[in-house]
Amino acid sequence: MESKSFPGIVDSLDSLREYIGELAQQAGLAKKPTYNLKLAIDEIATNIILYGYQAAGMEAEVVVLSEITGQELVVILVDEGAKFDPLGKELPDSDYFSKSLEDREIGGLGIFLTINGVDEFSYQYSEGKNRNKFVMKIAAT
Amino acid sequence: MAFQIESVVEDKVAKLTLHGELDSLSARVFQTEIEKIAGKEIDSLVLDMEELNFMSSAGLRVLIYSKQKIGPKLSIYIVKPQELIVDTLEKTGLQHSVTIVDQFPV
Repeated sequence: MESKSFPGIVDSLDSLREYIGELAQQAGLAKKPTYNLKLAIDEIATNIILYGYQAAGMEAEVVVLSEITGQELVVILVDEGAKFDPLGKELPDSDYFSKSLEDREIGGLGIFLTINGVDEFSYQYSEGKNRNKFVMKIAAT
Repeated sequence: MAFQIESVVEDKVAKLTLHGELDSLSARVFQTEIEKIAGKEIDSLVLDMEELNFMSSAGLRVLIYSKQKIGPKLSIYIVKPQELIVDTLEKTGLQHSVTIVDQFPV
């Protein structure tokens, strides 16, 4: 797998999205799946940086592992923050989405957009690290 | 692409033009603009998004915040958002709370 590291600060999000855009282009993803993957990775990376690192007073990197096979683009975000499973949190349900803006509690939207935007999303904690895995299927041409 | 925002308030209408990418870093700038206009008497918030290429949930949160801060009577218009941003608004049900238009005044 290819590996690239980014400093765990919000200023990195821009270059992280740009890098994901390059990977998506190499994999031949269309515009919409490319955007959805950038969005998914931006959301999870934001959580890692704000809650895993900044709120905990930690300075560490976010590592992007990637692999392009004939059928899919796999991206894994690896971080050293406290164990956090994004899938462990309750997602907003239809009741939430029918609420008017002023009645909404804030939160959960990012993880909803992540899961909704990629073909597969999974989480693993191993060797003291969080691993958030994103898979995009490459459409046969 | 670097995020930029311009803001004009006139006749109870606040018009904000957003450029670039709206993520959790740039959402702070967006929120600061909302805080500035929240003290003024406005009934419409017009967000020109034609030049906005990316919006994460941090941007959605500022939309929700605007309504909560300025008040439920505030009308939010989004001018010419790009297709993928409309997708995000639809997925999260926010399109029911804002009006998507091609121009403003409508």
